[in-house]
Amino acid sequence: MVAALDRKLLRNLWHMRGQVLAIALVLAAAAATFVLSTGVHSSLTATRAAYYDRNGFADVFAGMTRAPRSVVARVAAIPGAQRAQGSIIQYATLDMPGRKDPVRALLNSIREDGRDSINRVTLREGRLPEEGKPGEVIVDEAFASANDMALGDRVEALIYGVQQELTVVGIGLAPNYIYALAPGELIPDNRRFGVFWMGQKALEAATDRTDAINTLSVVLQRGASEPDVIRQIDTILAPYGGTGAYGRKDHLSHAFLDNELMQLEAMTKVIPPVFLLVAVFLVYIVLGRMIRIERTQIGLLKAFGYSDVAVGWHYLKFALVVAAIGCLLGLAAGVWMGRAMTGLYAEYYRFPFLAYRISSEAFLGAVALSLGTAALGAIGGMYRAVRLNPAVAMAPPPPPIYRAGFVSKIGHAGGFSAVGNMIVRHIARWPGRSALTVLGVALSAGLLFSTMQFMDSSRTMIDSFFLRGQAQDLTVTFVEPRNEDVIYALRQIPGVQRVEPTRGLAVRLVNGVRSKRTAVESTMAGSQLVSHIDASGKKLELPPGGLMLSRQLADELDLKAGDVVRVELLGGRQTRTGLRVASIVDEFIGSRAYANERTLELLARDASPVGSALLKVDPADRQAIIARLKDMPLLLGISERDASVRLFESMIEDNLFTMLFFYITFASVIAVGVVYNSARILFAERAHELATLRVLGYYHSEVAIVLAGELALLIVAAILPGCLIGYSLAQLMTEMFSSDLFRLPFAPSRASYGWSIVIVLAAAIGTVLLVVRRVTRLDMVAVLKARD
Amino acid sequence: MPIDGGIAFRCAGLRKTYRSGETEVHALRSVDLSVRQGESLVLLGPSGSGKSTMLNIIGGLDRPTEGTLHYQDIELTGLSDHDLTRFRRRHIGFIFQFYNLIPSLTAEENVNLVTDIAEAPMPAIEALDLVGLADRRHHYPAQLSGGEQQRVAVARAIAKQPAVLLCDEPTGALDSATGVRVLQTLDRANRELGTTLLIITHNAGIAAMADRVLHFLDGQISQEVVNQTRIRPDELTW
Ligand SMILES: Nc1ncnc2c1ncn2[C@@H]1O[C@H](COP(=O)(O)OP(=O)(O)O)[C@@H](O)[C@H]1O
Ligand SMILES: [Mg+2]
Repeated sequence: MVAALDRKLLRNLWHMRGQVLAIALVLAAAAATFVLSTGVHSSLTATRAAYYDRNGFADVFAGMTRAPRSVVARVAAIPGAQRAQGSIIQYATLDMPGRKDPVRALLNSIREDGRDSINRVTLREGRLPEEGKPGEVIVDEAFASANDMALGDRVEALIYGVQQELTVVGIGLAPNYIYALAPGELIPDNRRFGVFWMGQKALEAATDRTDAINTLSVVLQRGASEPDVIRQIDTILAPYGGTGAYGRKDHLSHAFLDNELMQLEAMTKVIPPVFLLVAVFLVYIVLGRMIRIERTQIGLLKAFGYSDVAVGWHYLKFALVVAAIGCLLGLAAGVWMGRAMTGLYAEYYRFPFLAYRISSEAFLGAVALSLGTAALGAIGGMYRAVRLNPAVAMAPPPPPIYRAGFVSKIGHAGGFSAVGNMIVRHIARWPGRSALTVLGVALSAGLLFSTMQFMDSSRTMIDSFFLRGQAQDLTVTFVEPRNEDVIYALRQIPGVQRVEPTRGLAVRLVNGVRSKRTAVESTMAGSQLVSHIDASGKKLELPPGGLMLSRQLADELDLKAGDVVRVELLGGRQTRTGLRVASIVDEFIGSRAYANERTLELLARDASPVGSALLKVDPADRQAIIARLKDMPLLLGISERDASVRLFESMIEDNLFTMLFFYITFASVIAVGVVYNSARILFAERAHELATLRVLGYYHSEVAIVLAGELALLIVAAILPGCLIGYSLAQLMTEMFSSDLFRLPFAPSRASYGWSIVIVLAAAIGTVLLVVRRVTRLDMVAVLKARD
Repeated sequence: MPIDGGIAFRCAGLRKTYRSGETEVHALRSVDLSVRQGESLVLLGPSGSGKSTMLNIIGGLDRPTEGTLHYQDIELTGLSDHDLTRFRRRHIGFIFQFYNLIPSLTAEENVNLVTDIAEAPMPAIEALDLVGLADRRHHYPAQLSGGEQQRVAVARAIAKQPAVLLCDEPTGALDSATGVRVLQTLDRANRELGTTLLIITHNAGIAAMADRVLHFLDGQISQEVVNQTRIRPDELTW
C-alpha cells in the first residue's frame, strides 16, 4: 500500500522537477547562508578560544611611561590577579632594502629563556632570540610573508633614535596581535607594518629601560572582578605614568575580532530568514496547487481506505523530500563558501590555524530549518487534503468561478482588450498567490539592495573619514609627546606646505555606571587639514568649551548634548574633571572625543604636548620628504593618507565583491524560484485557455502575452515593495552591523536601487521567457480533447 | 458572398498515423474529398472513426502524415505554423462539444477575443443577438447554462464572419431543444451568409439538415449521401 503511494510521490517529484529544483534552490540558499555564517562564526570563536588558551592571552592590559620591573610582582599580588607579566613595547622605523615608503615595526620584548606565561609567541620557524645577541628578532608571519622575509634576513631599524641592524631568527605570531594595526590605521597593512619580538635584555638596552617596563598584561583568576583589578592596577601604576588599565573589550585586536563575530551573528539573523520565508511561500503555493489538481485522486485514495493521516503524510513527505534536496545542496554550498570566506579571514586575521569546520549544531540547525520551513509551507495543503470528503472530491473539480463584480469593473473601466481582461482578472482571481509572487520578487530585490547598500555605506564612510575629514598627505607620530619645537622643525623641510599639530590625552569618560576608555583629541584652532563631518555632510567646528563626542561614544555612554560627563585623565596628573557635552558629531569610525586646546590644557593642568603632526606637502617633493622624515630621530611613524585609502578600498573590494557575488546569486535564486513556480503554475492552469486562443487564430507571440503579461505585471508590481523592503532591510542591517569600532552609515545610492532592480528583473524576465517558450509546444488538439 | 461558388477544400490521399512507441494508429487512411464553398456537410460515424482528426486537419489545427490539402488556392500542407495560424484566424470558425469559453471573460468579452483580431468582424453584440443572448452579454460562463455557453461559443465563431465553420459534436452535451437552437444558428449562417459548414455528430437525425452526409468508418469515408432536400433544424427529430 505504502509502496504505491511512494511511487506516486517519486512520479510527482519527477514530473514537477523544475519546480522542485527551484524550491530546493531557495532552501539551499537559506541552508547555505545559515551554515556559512554560523559555521564561520563558530570556527572563528573556537579557534580564538583555543589560541587564547594555549598562548595565555591576557585579560587585562595596562600601559605606562616607565615603571620598574618590580611593579609586576605587586600587580600579580592584587586579589583576583592570577599572574602578571611586564614587557616593553617600542615602535621602530624600518629601512627595508629597495623600499621608499615608510615601514614600521612594533617591537615587543620576549624572554630569551622562553618562559613567558602570557601572550606567548607561537614559533612557526626558527628560534627565540638569544641573550647577548642584541639584534635577533622574531618577525610576525604575516609581515614576513608580505615582505618575503626569511630566517637570516637582516633589516636596518631606527629604534629610539638609534640605528640598529636586526636579524630574523624566528617567524611567529601571538594572540594579542591577531588583528595588528599600525597606530592611526584601520586596516592591517602587512607590507608596511609588522610586529617584532626582541630579546628582553636587548630591548631594555635599545630603549634605555634597564629593569624597567612600559606595558603590563594580567591573567585574572576565575570569577575575579575585572573592574576591581583595573582600579587597583591604576592605583599602583599612577606614579609611573599609567595610562589606565583596560580589559579585553578595549583591546584592539580582540575588539576587532569581536566586531567581526558580531557581524556574522547579525548576518545569520537577517539573511537566512528571508530565504526561509520565500521557501514557505513556494511550498505553500506549489503544494496547494498540487492538492487542487489531485483532489479526485485523494478522494479515490480515501475511498480505497487510506487514512487521513496516510494522505496528509504523503503530501508532507513531498515537501520534506524537496527540503532534503535543498538542504543537501545548501550544506555543500555552505562548506564551499565557508572555505572562500575563511580564506579571506586568514588575510586580515593572524591565526596559527584556522579551519572552516561546520559544527554539528550548525549542521543540525540547517537541517531542522529546511525541514521545518517545508513542513510549515505544507500545513495549509495538508490540512485541505485531510479535510477533503471523498465523495465531494471525486466529483469533477468546480471550475474557477468568475462573477460580475469588482473584478469585471476593472476591465470595463480600463477599456482593456479581451486578452488584457484575461490577465487582470486572473491576477485578481488568485489574489493570495499573486501577492506572494510580488512579495517573493520584492524580497529578492530587497535582499540584493541591502547588500549593495553595504558598498555605498563603505564608500560613504571612506569619503567622510578620509576624503573630506582629512586633507593632510602625511601624518607623523612621535615616539613621545613633544613640544611645539618639532612643528617648527617640520615646517623647515623643503616642500612641506603646511604643518598642524594634533594633541591627545588618554582619558576615561564616566557617566554613572557606564565608562569608556578613549582619547580626547584636539586639532589647532582654525585647522585647514582636519574637519569633522557629521552624517548630513555638514562641517562641525570644535566647541569653544566642553567636549564634542562622536555619536557612537555618546550612545555608548548614554549622553546627550548638554549632559555633564566625568573625565578621568589617565597618566600625568590623573585629574578628575566634569565637562559638558557641547556637541555630538555623527562620525562613522571609532568612539572618539574632541575638544579644543584650551579644554585639553584644563584637563592636563599643563600645556598639552604634541602627539602627532599633520603635513600637507608638495607632491613633487613627497619622496624626498618621506626620506628626510625617516631619518628624524624620535619619530614613531609616518602614515600616508593615500595608502590608507587604497588599503581600505582594496579590503572593501576583496570582501564586498565576494559577498556581492554570493548575494547576486542568492537574490537571483529567489527571483528565479518564485517566478519559475508562478509561471509553471500559471501555465498549467491556463494551458486550456491558451490552446483555445491558438485555435481561434492567435499567434504564439499573442498567446505568450497572456502568460508573460500577467507575470510582467506582478514583477513590475514588485519593484516598489522591493525598494521599500530593501530600504528597511538595509537600515536594519547597518544598525545590526554597527559596533564600537564602526558605525555604518545608511547611505543608499540610486545606482544600488537601479542595479538591484535591473538584476532581479533580468533574472525574472529570463525565467518568464524560459517558461513562455512552452507556448510554442502547446498541443492544441490534445488540450482540447481533455475536458479541463 | 458566393452562395454556390468554387471549391473550398480539396484533399487527396490524406492520411494521419499516430505513432506511440511500437503501435501505430491509423486515424485516417487515404481520404479524398472536395467541399464546395457554401456547402453544408454532416460527418457521421462511430467513435474513433477519424472524424475529429479530419476536421482538425481541415481547420489547420493538425497536419496530415501524407497527402495534400488545399483551401481554395492555398496548399495547407505546405504552410508554416505561423501561416497556418493566420489561415485559421482569417477563414475558420470552430465550435467544440465542450464550449472552450474563457471562464474569466464575460459572454461579450469571449466574443471580443475573436473580433479583436478578425479582419471584418460584426460587432460582438450583434453576434450575441444572432444567438439570442444579447441580454446576457455581461454574464460569465459560470453564470450561463450549458446551452447558453454553447451559443456564446457559436456567437464567437460566427462573429468574424468566417468562410468556414467547423463544428465537432456541437450538440453533444446539450438536450435536444437546446441543440436545435444551436443548429438553427449554424444553419442560418450557412444559408444567409454562405458559410461553408461542416458538422460532426453522432446523431443520424441531424444529417437531414445538410447538403451532403459523409459516413466515416475506420479512417475512411465509407459512404456519401447527397440530400435532395434539406430540412430545417426545427423540423429535425431525434
Ligand atoms: N493524439 C492521438 N494519439 C494517438 N491516437 C490518436 C490521437 N488522436 C486520435 N487518435 C486515434 O485516432 C483515431 C481517430 O480518432 P478521432 O479522429 O478522434 O475519432 P472520432 O472523432 O471519429 O471519434 C482513434 O482511434 C483515436 O484513438
Ligand atoms: Mg471526435
